[in-house]
Amino acid sequence: ILDDPDLKDIDPTVLKHCHAAAATCILEAGKQKADVSAISTCLEDCKLDKERIEQFCTEYQKNKDALEILLGSIGRSPLHITDVSWRLEYQIKSNQLHKTYQPSYLVTLNVENSDSGSHPDVSFTCTMEQLQDLVGKLKDAAKSLERATQM
Amino acid sequence: MLLVLSEEQKAHLGCLPQAGDAAVGELGRLALELLRRGATPRACEATARKLNVGVDTVQHGVEGLAYLLTESSKLMVSEVDFQDSIHVLGFSEELNKLLLQLYLDNRKEIRSILGELTPKLPSYHSLEWRLDVQLASRSLRQQIKPAVTIKLHLNQNEDQTAQVLQTDPSTLLHLIQQLEQALGEMKTNHCRRIVRNMK
Repeated sequence: ILDDPDLKDIDPTVLKHCHAAAATCILEAGKQKADVSAISTCLEDCKLDKERIEQFCTEYQKNKDALEILLGSIGRSPLHITDVSWRLEYQIKSNQLHKTYQPSYLVTLNVENSDSGSHPDVSFTCTMEQLQDLVGKLKDAAKSLERATQM
Repeated sequence: MLLVLSEEQKAHLGCLPQAGDAAVGELGRLALELLRRGATPRACEATARKLNVGVDTVQHGVEGLAYLLTESSKLMVSEVDFQDSIHVLGFSEELNKLLLQLYLDNRKEIRSILGELTPKLPSYHSLEWRLDVQLASRSLRQQIKPAVTIKLHLNQNEDQTAQVLQTDPSTLLHLIQQLEQALGEMKTNHCRRIVRNMK
């Protein structure tokens, strides 16, 4: 803002205060999911005239959804799974044991951390039965999700 | 496939003919204990005293037997090949039969012990899940954000680790679809052909 040519004439300190105040107001409104009337009342108390209140509210409404998404994404949560990759292999032998002839899956869960952006992925091997167990449990979770949405 | 025994190993096993059937059984038991739990010097001493031979003889015999059993189990040697391999030692028919029986009886167990020695990545143990809905946070009130929290239990080198992870509903459905495709792969013609031809 300090570089904006339109705002060149205003005292930088005042500019900063205005910016901070506006940002705080917007964040509080977003956090509380305030509606237009609540914001108008608040701004009236701050002695803004009608035209400015209307301008502020229009701009706010335009960006409300993006703001909510942004605020909702702030916060701690466990590592978030974003994707999965898998590899099917058929083991024939190792140096300790020949003729094993076993299929085995290598599954990698791509994981993201909300704070630091990335995190080593979680990898593990499993047999076909174990993978079936895993998929079965995930399907149970999905079914209970579906039931919950229908309640 | 025939086993190849070195001269030293043949010498080790050389003590078996004089030992007698019961003793061979005893030595076989010691060999298996060696594989399951590691060296057992005390048991070897006790057996040596019982059979009235030197401790070294017993120990060599046990080691030789252990090698014979592990190599045959590792290569999954057939009965015929096993018999041909020990034929070169020049033992009596009964001793050969005893050794063959010892091999066949314990093959599966030895193979599973050997299987634990292969290099391994963490392996799946189990999974617990929980359905959560986030209603509010410090930054945003009045939310409805469903999430599935998962506790993934993995085994790594005999330690169990548990990791807590989370997904949203759409990623969960995507995971299920991808992993079902993975399961389906084993049933395709390509994989079936390979499995058939690689016995």
